[in-house]
Amino acid sequence: MKRKALSILLVSAMALGMFAGCGSSEKKADSGKKEAAKVDTSAEDEHTLSVFAWDENFNIPALEAAAEAYKAKDPDFKLNISTQSQSSDVEDAVTLAGSSGDYSTLPDIVLFQDHFINRYVNDYPDAWQDINDANINWDDFGSEKLSYSTINDKHYGVPVDNGTVIFAYRTDILKECGYTIDDMTGITWDQFDKIGKEVYEKTGKYLLSMDGNGNDLPYMMLQAEGVSQFKDGKPNFVDNKTMADIINVIVKLKQDNVLYLANDWSDYTDQTIVGDMVAGVMNGNWIIPTIKQVKDNSGKWAITSIPTLTGKEGFASNGGSSLYVTANCKNTDLAKDFLAYTFGGGEGSKDTYDNALKNGGVITTCISAGQSDVYKEGVDYFGGQPIYQKIVEMGANVPTVEQSDYHYTAREQIAAAIHNIDGGAKAKDELKNAQDQVNFAMGNE
Amino acid sequence: MNKNKYKSVQGKQKAAGWMFLAPATILIFVMSFYPMIRAFIMSLQTGSSANMTWATPNIFNNYTRMFKDNLFKGSLVNTYLYLIIQVPIMLILAILLAQLLNNKDLKFKGLFRTMVFLPCATSLVSYALIFKSLFATQGLVNDVLQKIGITHSNINFLGTTATAKIVIIIALLWRWTGYNMVFYLAGLQNIEYSVYEAAKIDGANGWKTFWGITVPLLRPTIVMTFIMSINGTLQLFDESVNLTKGGPANSTITMSHYIFNNSFGNGVANFGYASAMSFVVFIMVAILAFINLKVGDTRD
Amino acid sequence: MIKKKVNSSAIQRRLIPTYIFLIIVSFISVFPLYWMITAATNDTVDVAKGKIWFGTHAAENFQKLLNYGRGINLGGAMWNSFFYAVLQTILCLFICSLAGYGFELYHDKYKDRLFGILLLAMMVPQVATMIPLFKMISGMKLLNTSIAFILPAISTPFMIMMFRQNSRNFPVDIMEAARIDGLSEVMIFFKMYMPVMKSTYAAAAVICFMNAWNAYLWPKVVMNKPEAQTMPMLIADLSSGYTVDYGLLMMGVLFCSIPTMIVFFVLQKQFAEGITGSVK
Repeated sequence: MKRKALSILLVSAMALGMFAGCGSSEKKADSGKKEAAKVDTSAEDEHTLSVFAWDENFNIPALEAAAEAYKAKDPDFKLNISTQSQSSDVEDAVTLAGSSGDYSTLPDIVLFQDHFINRYVNDYPDAWQDINDANINWDDFGSEKLSYSTINDKHYGVPVDNGTVIFAYRTDILKECGYTIDDMTGITWDQFDKIGKEVYEKTGKYLLSMDGNGNDLPYMMLQAEGVSQFKDGKPNFVDNKTMADIINVIVKLKQDNVLYLANDWSDYTDQTIVGDMVAGVMNGNWIIPTIKQVKDNSGKWAITSIPTLTGKEGFASNGGSSLYVTANCKNTDLAKDFLAYTFGGGEGSKDTYDNALKNGGVITTCISAGQSDVYKEGVDYFGGQPIYQKIVEMGANVPTVEQSDYHYTAREQIAAAIHNIDGGAKAKDELKNAQDQVNFAMGNE
Repeated sequence: MNKNKYKSVQGKQKAAGWMFLAPATILIFVMSFYPMIRAFIMSLQTGSSANMTWATPNIFNNYTRMFKDNLFKGSLVNTYLYLIIQVPIMLILAILLAQLLNNKDLKFKGLFRTMVFLPCATSLVSYALIFKSLFATQGLVNDVLQKIGITHSNINFLGTTATAKIVIIIALLWRWTGYNMVFYLAGLQNIEYSVYEAAKIDGANGWKTFWGITVPLLRPTIVMTFIMSINGTLQLFDESVNLTKGGPANSTITMSHYIFNNSFGNGVANFGYASAMSFVVFIMVAILAFINLKVGDTRD
Repeated sequence: MIKKKVNSSAIQRRLIPTYIFLIIVSFISVFPLYWMITAATNDTVDVAKGKIWFGTHAAENFQKLLNYGRGINLGGAMWNSFFYAVLQTILCLFICSLAGYGFELYHDKYKDRLFGILLLAMMVPQVATMIPLFKMISGMKLLNTSIAFILPAISTPFMIMMFRQNSRNFPVDIMEAARIDGLSEVMIFFKMYMPVMKSTYAAAAVICFMNAWNAYLWPKVVMNKPEAQTMPMLIADLSSGYTVDYGLLMMGVLFCSIPTMIVFFVLQKQFAEGITGSVK
C-alpha cells in the first residue's frame, strides 16, 4: 500500500515535471529561459509602457485611471501594471539592478516613495532618466511635494498622491463628551490631552492611536511646528527644544490613556482603527480607506487640522510617492508624454485624478486638478463634509522642512528613544543615544 | 595481468565514487563558497553597491565599525539569549515527548505524533501571522488569561521588551519542538527493547534508564539536533521580521535581521558592512558547531 | 486471559499522566492551526477582535482570494509554487542521494575530508550570499526562471548528510553481488540503491518539499515578475498594503499550508522510517 502511494507520487511528480518542463510553463514564468530574465521593454510596441506599483486599493486604481485617460490621446495605449507586495519591493528592485549593473530588470516607470528617491538617484545615477523637458507646468504642484522629486536641480518624478495629514474625529463621541469638531481645531496639545482624558473616562476609547514601531507621530508633530529632525545634514535631536517638548507630550498622552501605541503597522490599522478602539485618527490622508472599513460608523466622522504646541492650526505631510522613469525605458517620449498628459496636469489630468479619487481615494497635489467638481462633493462617510477639497487646501499650507536620506533611520531611532523614555529612561540620555546611532548610520563619526 | 585488471576495476570504482559526488560538490562550491568569498571581498569595501571602493583608511573598517555599533551588539545579545534559553528547553521537551511516545503500551501513538509534528508543516510567514494575532493586546491569550484570573488587564505582549522576547521563544518552541522530536523518536526506535528489559531486571528506575541508557545512545542524534538548532537560531530571521519587526525599540532584533536591514531596509543599502557582519555570524556558527562535534563525538 | 486484561488496564491507568500531558501538548500544537481555519471563515473585524468560532464569510473570503492579484491569481501562484517545489525536490533528491551514496559507500580519507568542508556550507548565512548570488544569476540571465529559484537549493549539506547516514544501512554485499553480475556502478545506484532506500527518499522529499514550498526570501529577490510569483509571496502581498483584510489573509494562509500538510500526511510513515535510518 505505502509502496504504491509513494510510487504514484513519484511518478506523477516526474510526469508533472516533464510536462511542465516542455509544456505549459514555457508560456508562464519560464518562457524561454534566456529572455524571461528581463522586463522586456524592448519588445513592447510603441503604445505600451510598464510600471511597478504596490497598493491594489490605492495607487494601482490611480494608474489604471491614468491609462484609461491616456487612451483618449492614443487609443492603442496599454499600461502593464506589475503589482509589488510593498513599496520596499520597488526599492529592492532598484538596489538589486544597481548592484548587478543590469537595469533590464526594471520596468519603464516605477512608483517610488518620496523619502527615499533622493538617495537612490545619488547612489544609482544610471538607473534613472530625468524628465526636465516633459511638457509639465511644475508650478501647478505643491512645493513641499515637489521638493522630493527635484534632485540636483532636475525634475525626476511626477507626483501622484498627497500625503497631507488629517486628524479625523468621531463627532458622535465628541458630542457625548460635550465637544464639537470646531473645539478640536487650532488647539494646543495640552488642551487635546485634557479632552482626551475625558473621552477615555467616559467612553473607554482612545482619542489617538499610532504605530509605535514605525512612529509617524513625532515626525508629523515636528513638521507641523515647522521643525526638522535634521539640521545642516546632521541629526538634530539633543539641542532641539521642539523635539524634547513633543516627546514630553507623546509620553504624557500615552500615560494619560489618550494615545495608544500599537506594536506595528497592522496592529495599528487592524486593531485600533478597524477594531474600533479609537475616537480619533491622525495620519496621511491615505489612511481614509482604513477608517471607512468599519461600515457601522458611517456619517460619524469629520476631519480637521492637527493640534500644535502653540495652538495654531497644524499642517503636515506623511508618506506619499511619485512616478519616475527608469534607465530601462526605451520609449522615453511616450513615458514623458503619458506622465505629462495624466498626472502632470495635462488634458487628461481631470479624468485621471477624478477617477483616482473615486476608485482609490488618491488625492492630488496638482492644484488645478483639485478644483474639479468631484473634489467639491460631500462625503457621506464623513457626515457630508467635502473632505477632499479640505485636504487639498490643507496641503497647500504644509511647511517644507529639511529632509535627509536617513529620514526613516532617524524616525526609527526617535521611536526607540520614546519607547525607552516611556519605560522610565532619562530623555536626555536617550536622545543623545538616538542621535549618536543616526550619526553612526550616516558615517559621521 | 590479473593484478592489472583488478587495479583497473578498482580505479573504475574510485572514479565512479568521485563522479557520484561531483554534481553536489560543484553546486555547493559555486552556490555557497564562491558567493561567500565574494561576500568577504565586499566586506572590505564601502560605498553604493553600484560603485564599491576599498574601505579607507583601514581595509578592515567594516569590522572595526561593528565594535562601535550598539545595535549590532544588541542583536548579538538577543540572538544568544534565544539560543541559550530556547534551544535547551526545546531539545529537552523533544526528548521527553519522544520518550513518552516510544512507550509500546501507549495508544493513539500515531495520532499524537502527527499532532505534535503538525506545526512544522506551516510556513514561516503563516505561523508568525498566527502567533501575532493570538498574542495581540485584544487577542485570545489575553482573553484566556483574564478569564482564568491570572491577569486583570490586557498585556501588550509584543509591545513590551521582556514579553516580546518570550513570545518569540514560545513561537520557536511551538514550531520546532515536534521537528526535533521526530529525530529523537527515530533514534529511540533504533535502541533494542532488550536493553531496557535488562535495565529493568537490574532494578533501574525510569529516571536512571533515561540518563543511563537513553541519553548516551541518543548522543549522535543529540549532537546533530544541537548543531542544527544552533545554526538555525544564529541565523534566525523570519520570526524577528514577521512577529515583532525587531521591536519594540529594536529589543528583539536578531543578527540576520539586522544584517538584512543593512542590505535592504530603509533604503540605506550598505552591502559592505552587511557582508562583514554576516561573515562574523558565519565564523561564530562554525566555531560553535566545531565545539559541539568535539564534545559530542566519543565514537572511534 | 482475564489476568492479562487486568494487567493491561493497570498499565493504561499508570499511563494516565502521560496521556494528559500528551493531550495538552497536542492541543497546544493544533490550536493555532484551528484558529487559522476559523479565522479564514470570518471577516476582518471579527478576526481583529479574536473571535474563535467559525463565521459565515468562508465563501466570501475564498471568492476574494480567487479574484485577488493582477499579475497572478491564486491558481497561478499555487501552480508556480507546486511546480518549483516538485522540480526542486526531484533534483535535490537525485543530486544529494548520489553524493550521499558516493561519500558513504566509496569513502576514503579524501572524500571524508571533502565532506567536512561541504558541511561548512551549512553554516553560511543566507543573507550573506544573497547579493553575490543575485549578481551571478542575473549575469547568467536566469532571473524569473525556475532555475533561479532552485539552483541554490538543490545541493544542500543537510540532505547529503542525511543520505550519507542512511547509506550505512545499505547492505554492501548487494553491491558486490551486483558487480559480479556485471552491473556497472551507475546501474547499481539506479537498480539497487534507489529501491532499497525508498523510505529515506520519502523523508528527504518531505523536508525538501516543505523547504521549497515555504521559501520566501530568495524567491522574492529573483522572481520579480508577477507571473513567477509563489504562494508565500502572494500571502505577503495580502498582508501588506495600507489596509489588510484578515479573513482573506487567513484564507490565503490556509491555502498555503494545505499542500505541505498533504505531503506530510501521505508520506508520514516513510518519513518516520527514513529519519530513523539517518540517526542510527
